[in-house]
Amino acid sequence: MMAQAATFCSEGFVGMKEQEKTKTWFSRQIKQNADALYSVAVRLTRNRAAAEDLVAESVIKAWSAIATLDNRDRFRPWLFRIMHNRFLSDCRKRSVRPVETSWSEQSEEGCGEEVTALLLEQPEEFLAWWATPERAFVNRLLGEQIRKAIDELPEVFRVTVLLVNVDGLAYDEAAEVLGVPTGTVRSRMKRGRTLLQTALWQQAKEAGLTGGAKFSE
Amino acid sequence: MNEMTQGHHHSDDDIGCLEAIEWLYAWLDGELDQGSVEQLEHHLQHCKSCYSRNEMERALTQRIKETSDEKTPPTLQKRLDKLLDEF
Repeated sequence: MMAQAATFCSEGFVGMKEQEKTKTWFSRQIKQNADALYSVAVRLTRNRAAAEDLVAESVIKAWSAIATLDNRDRFRPWLFRIMHNRFLSDCRKRSVRPVETSWSEQSEEGCGEEVTALLLEQPEEFLAWWATPERAFVNRLLGEQIRKAIDELPEVFRVTVLLVNVDGLAYDEAAEVLGVPTGTVRSRMKRGRTLLQTALWQQAKEAGLTGGAKFSE
Repeated sequence: MNEMTQGHHHSDDDIGCLEAIEWLYAWLDGELDQGSVEQLEHHLQHCKSCYSRNEMERALTQRIKETSDEKTPPTLQKRLDKLLDEF
């Protein structure tokens, strides 16, 4: 009987120590990723107060599900996936439709030809700029113009560009977050970049920032 | 039609401009294998158009990151600290 109690105490002690270790590790991970989480949340929600709520709720959800994380090396994509799912869930509750793309999900694989076609659909002067871009042009763009162009990207491309370009996730990690194949992330990045550049060019043109580019108009 | 859309090659062993742009995207995202990086670098050394595009894509990727990077506001920082204490 004594031996059993001792074993129980010992296991309980070990269990508590493990829980404390997990909590310490989890806290450190959250602190390391807080800026990245908030950056993506701001661009997802387009609202700073809503972004704070989204991050906090995602952290609560992550802690409650920490036992389901099989590989701690995958914590980052796992955490971002929780936040992305939470965002989608919030949108559904508010009857907001987050996915607003005319692109067919079925045609996302192997879309290199479609990207070329997309480029060919652009106005002639955009192609002229695209083929002979000027670094100074990019530098003249205001941060606000870039943020606006990102915010106006169709949802699937916006989220993918944010995860890869802003948070530096690898394609396979972003695929894990979004629950799609890696090839889909690759194709979304191509389309997202092209759409973003088109939007930036349009904005810059309207703001008169394209003066240095040689257009065929 | 511009040079890029013609899939321009600069020598027999060179990759075309269209392929170079595809690879450039993967390179920027850290997804290109070393052998392909070397082929791409070779192409960029010989193709002014793709070299300029590389410069622009890098600058734009950097600007996107800079303009999207946010610091956790103190209100959220306090909220997270409180949550982590309570777990």
